[in-house]
Amino acid sequence: MPYSDLRSYLDALNANGQLLSITEKVKAEPDLSAAAVAGLRMSDRSPALLFDNIEGFTNARVALNTIGSWANLATALEVDIKTPVRDMFFEWVRRAENFPIAVERRDNPPWAENSVEGDDINLFDILPLFRLNAADGGFFLDNGAVVSRDPDDPDNFGKQNVGCYRMQVKGPRKINIFTVPVHDAAIHLGKAEARGEDLPICITLGNDPIIKIMAGTPFAYDQSEYEMAGAIRQAPFPVATAPLIGFDVPWGSEVVIEGVLEAGKREFEGPFGEFTGHYSGGRKLPVMRIDKVSYRTNPIFEHLYIGMPWTELDYVAGLTTCIPIYKQMKAEFPEVQAVNAMYSNGLIFIISTKRRYGGFAKDIGLRALTTPRGLGMGKIVIVVDEGVDPFDLQQVMWAVSTKFNPAGDFVRIPNLCVQDLDPASQPAGITDKIIIDATTPVSPDLRATSTLRSPIRRRPRTGPPNSLRCGPETEL
Amino acid sequence: MNCPRCDHNAIDTVATSPVPGVWEVYGCGRCSYMWRSTEPADRSIREGYPVEFRITQADIDNAIIEPEIQVPTR
Repeated sequence: MPYSDLRSYLDALNANGQLLSITEKVKAEPDLSAAAVAGLRMSDRSPALLFDNIEGFTNARVALNTIGSWANLATALEVDIKTPVRDMFFEWVRRAENFPIAVERRDNPPWAENSVEGDDINLFDILPLFRLNAADGGFFLDNGAVVSRDPDDPDNFGKQNVGCYRMQVKGPRKINIFTVPVHDAAIHLGKAEARGEDLPICITLGNDPIIKIMAGTPFAYDQSEYEMAGAIRQAPFPVATAPLIGFDVPWGSEVVIEGVLEAGKREFEGPFGEFTGHYSGGRKLPVMRIDKVSYRTNPIFEHLYIGMPWTELDYVAGLTTCIPIYKQMKAEFPEVQAVNAMYSNGLIFIISTKRRYGGFAKDIGLRALTTPRGLGMGKIVIVVDEGVDPFDLQQVMWAVSTKFNPAGDFVRIPNLCVQDLDPASQPAGITDKIIIDATTPVSPDLRATSTLRSPIRRRPRTGPPNSLRCGPETEL
Repeated sequence: MNCPRCDHNAIDTVATSPVPGVWEVYGCGRCSYMWRSTEPADRSIREGYPVEFRITQADIDNAIIEPEIQVPTR
């Protein structure tokens, strides 16, 4: 049964043994973030955390690491919690083929239970806000599904965007939103500002896991995240109408925050511990004036720790970073077998492929750099043979360490575009990019007859007693 | 009380704990830094705040604007 809200997902995590309720009193800082980090470091199958006894608060509940492991992601996809990552990758690809699935409109959303407007709003009264990393400039929201519309085409459902942006709470009813020019929300804001208008916008918090993942996944400008969520959850996604600005928002959210990004206004924000494992530095960012907040009684504040990888973000964005690259590559190069771009939001791609001809892997690498994800990320592309699982780093390192010779297998392209949060870019947003060809050479590459073509395909093994006399079995 | 990060002296109380007397949240009127009174010293006291993360008015003035502000065309 697909999840319609966060609470039903938490119930499923609990049923799978993937939810740890912590009733001991904790401090908002640094205990909550420290617990999230400890959970993430425990294993890649660790549980979500639910706190209900936070010092100084009454009735506050904080959920962390809800998709903070492969077992939790499997729960979100409603597959066996031991499903291997590679299998979840192909299951996601299979479901995405059913896009688009039209939404289901529902009445009586649970977040309509309570509301507050105008100067009566104080986010601190509604949410147990807390700091994530020590040098963050304040208390951030980094896990919302933010809804905006194209001011020039407001009735176009596909252009209505659901995005995920970091947001710093700056006051009782004021938030900074970090949206870079390639983001749909920034495009919407630019169009509104060109018209001399504020941009209506809606932040939804505490959502079901699939729309949470969708919000952080880049799609084409006119593709609906809600309709993709329907494909992935294998049922129409339930939406309701935001009462003030009329946008379509998740029916099951814990909190719905409505307001506007004020035209022409930017204020200092940051720094913030980012997905790169480094602080972002400060910027002047758009300002949201909050006009109405609707919320469930005693809402669960579902937050996401982000910082030194791996964090929950890597589980949330991992597969959905890989899949568009895989599909775009596969459409033009059917030899491509799988793509792993899970590290630091896709700064590294690992692609396994059959080779059509000598030098083919470099063509694969060059094309990968010009996929939409490759344009702004994709700093390093590693290409491996079809028999190497790109999700198994032991296999990938074997391929790189034994197949790769910089003399003929290394391509470097200077001064390309990269996400400006890449701390190694210089100046910010510009970097060289490289391709590492760790495939086995094939004709007419002159190295095609080298010993590279003779791996030990079958490992030595012992067999049943009647075959022991055959000794270790290898195949040259 | 001054801001731990920029040493400004205009500080607002943004929130108080629902359980009375446990903590307060403060906000700086210049750099907008926000902190809870119960946080460790490296986040809540000027003397303890890490030098590499302190900022000045010039840092605020010179921060990049993102995204660029669009000028109304009509």
